[in-house]
Amino acid sequence: MATEIQEIDLKTDEMIINMGPQHPATHGVLRLLLTLDGETVKHTEPVLGHLHRGQEWQGQNRTWFQYQALIDRVDYLSGMFTSWAMARACEEIDGTVVPPRAEYLRVMVSEMNRITSHLLWLGTYLIDLGAMFGFPFYPFREREKLFDLFEEIAGQRMMFNYIRIGGVVRDPKPEWLDKLKRFLDEFPDRIDEYETIVTQNPIFLKRTKDVGILTQAVAKDYGVTGPCIRSSGIPLDLRRTKPYSVYPELKFDVITFDKEGDTWDRYMARILEMRQSIEIIRQCIDKLPSGDIMGKKQMAGMRIKAGEGFSAVESPRGILGCYVISGGGEKALRFRWRNPSFCNLAILPELLKGCPLSDIMAIFGSIDVILPDVDR
Amino acid sequence: MFSNGDEIFKISRLTIVWLAGIFTIVWMVCWGLGIALPMLLTSQLGDKAALTNEILRAATPVIAILVFIPINAMFMVLIERRALALWTVRKGPNRVGPDGNFQTAADAVKLLLKEDITPTGADAVMHTFAPILFFAPSVFGAVPLLAAVTNNHPLFHVLNLPTGIFFVLAAGALPVVALVMAGWASNNKYSLVGGLRSAAQAISYEIPLVLSLITVCLMAGTLDLVKITEQQAGGILNWNLLGGGALTGLNNALAGGGAKALATSYFMGPISYVCAGLLVISLIISFWLYLTGACAEINRIPFDLPEAESELVSGYNTEYSGMKFAIFFLAEFTNLFVVSSITTVMFLGGGDNPIPPYILNNIPGIPQMVAAIRDSYFCSTLHIINPETFFATLWVIAKVYGLVIFAVLIRGTLPRFRIDQLMAFGWKRLIPLSLIVFIIVVFAREFVICHG
Repeated sequence: MATEIQEIDLKTDEMIINMGPQHPATHGVLRLLLTLDGETVKHTEPVLGHLHRGQEWQGQNRTWFQYQALIDRVDYLSGMFTSWAMARACEEIDGTVVPPRAEYLRVMVSEMNRITSHLLWLGTYLIDLGAMFGFPFYPFREREKLFDLFEEIAGQRMMFNYIRIGGVVRDPKPEWLDKLKRFLDEFPDRIDEYETIVTQNPIFLKRTKDVGILTQAVAKDYGVTGPCIRSSGIPLDLRRTKPYSVYPELKFDVITFDKEGDTWDRYMARILEMRQSIEIIRQCIDKLPSGDIMGKKQMAGMRIKAGEGFSAVESPRGILGCYVISGGGEKALRFRWRNPSFCNLAILPELLKGCPLSDIMAIFGSIDVILPDVDR
Repeated sequence: MFSNGDEIFKISRLTIVWLAGIFTIVWMVCWGLGIALPMLLTSQLGDKAALTNEILRAATPVIAILVFIPINAMFMVLIERRALALWTVRKGPNRVGPDGNFQTAADAVKLLLKEDITPTGADAVMHTFAPILFFAPSVFGAVPLLAAVTNNHPLFHVLNLPTGIFFVLAAGALPVVALVMAGWASNNKYSLVGGLRSAAQAISYEIPLVLSLITVCLMAGTLDLVKITEQQAGGILNWNLLGGGALTGLNNALAGGGAKALATSYFMGPISYVCAGLLVISLIISFWLYLTGACAEINRIPFDLPEAESELVSGYNTEYSGMKFAIFFLAEFTNLFVVSSITTVMFLGGGDNPIPPYILNNIPGIPQMVAAIRDSYFCSTLHIINPETFFATLWVIAKVYGLVIFAVLIRGTLPRFRIDQLMAFGWKRLIPLSLIVFIIVVFAREFVICHG
């Protein structure tokens, strides 16, 4: 028998890794099915729904009054915005006139909430990049101060239930405004402090520059909103493009960059947005009119006129929309939420294609996804 | 100035209490076994005790290390957590015992009592051996250092090897095998990636690390750790950190040698001065190269890719629990200590006082204090305190734990590299730089009289 020379190919296999639902960097319970070639990502499949609580269904089975208290939990880091979206949709149906003082207070607390949300993002993003123990707790220091202010005005630190249909629920005392002013005076220095540690840190720059570039075409196709799309050069900010509440009377810049954004730009956009929020709150304090704060009587059997309405607000993560159909009763007929995290998460497989394993965290963290907001 | 002065005070108090406790216990064990017991036996039995005494003296260093490593690791975990907490506006563990002193003791008890799990499908033998293989080199690798850090105390003479640093480096290269073993045997994809990363990283960063130490050995002209330490005696200008003897001439001149001492050391005139400057710069670069390489070698942030908690769920030790995990943990902190000791011995003059003797002896009170300690009952009769070793050990403790705290500060500041950036940094930056430094030193040392 003639001997044949066998050719041996060195065969390499792709490895399928199941990242999550329990993984320190997936911010809750996202599951990513990753196909890896060595350490390079070939394919990503996000598996959602581990945190599905039926928030829309719950809205249809609770009275308006009850659901107001529940709605902060949809996006637990920016409860003011979810409350506000729902309140505006209901006011649109009901034709309630919100008193100007309440509108200014809404803008103030929402911008405060935007700051707390971005601060938490900043800390956790650094954890994702591997600065496990150092920097992340500095933002939490300022976040706690804001939470103390929230506690004073809303009675709660995170699940505020402060913005209600028709207005806001409590009027702040003059001392509260003084405290807020004092915080705003010291906060820019604190942001400078974060920036001295992070912004030009060579390792941070290496990890974030030119990583996870989000092109304008992809961003538009997938319906990305919020700081993600603004850092890619599209100035989409509902506060300016489709102004609501008292935003037309306030001066602020919409943060955009000229080029297509990488993760560093998304970081920078949030830092700059915090600075803009400070300015907005300052203007609100100066312009705050006196008067009533509630345009609709809050009670357990509260009713909304029959009809349907949609409202959208610019939450820290993007456009947060709420669509309501009311039959005129104590409960809604249908709730539908447009959650920014859900839409922003959709670009993840696109951005992760061909990047190394370590960049998954850098990119996923920079999108700023809140899992309860994705799964509802 | 310090808003957290209270915390700083508490941490300093905790550090002093722990260090005093650790070194008193370890030294009492050494003294009891190596000095007091042989003295007692000789006085009772006479010559018959000679063999027993030899055995006791040989066993003393080993027992000392085995006593020292666990309590030292406990202290280092505690100080790392407290110091990190200080720098990250947190409180840190402060509930178990006064100042949280017993926190790590409680943690250790918890880890030892936990169930020891071998995952399904794991290679049980390899899974068990990996932590042992990881821990063992850090113990026997530390052995030759003991003579160097105690200023060659008679009890630890036996440990000194003529090729000391070579042995230490060889022992330091072993743990990577254990990490790959642990990653492979765990039957977990994250662990496997962690193990492979650690292999790649350790091999790459071994080169600048060893090259930087070779530069020092070249300046010293020996591999013997005790000799390297002795050469550096006599103040900060003699340390290897500052030129490895290139500034000794300056030191001698300051000590009273005047221009004559300068002319002896820098015999080529201006060329010698330039070369001395080059040597100082090169050795400082070598020092940083060593610190960087060592950080990568012992897997600390920013080079903790094999663990990478936010990516690989702590990598190679994901599947370990209980005692095996405790051994991994212990070895990690022991490695940090060993690396700091090597830095102290090779660059920072071992137990040498940074203030040179010609200044120190002129400070009123200090020579009298040294003499009083030397003549005291403890020192002259009981041999509890040996004046040479006593002050040397204090300096070693200050330097080594200073470096440990520095590593903690680094951990509290920097994010983590990506694996390809890590490799690029190692091969494209550190290795060429260390080779350049090495070549500069090879030529520059010919024009200056230095240690070697």
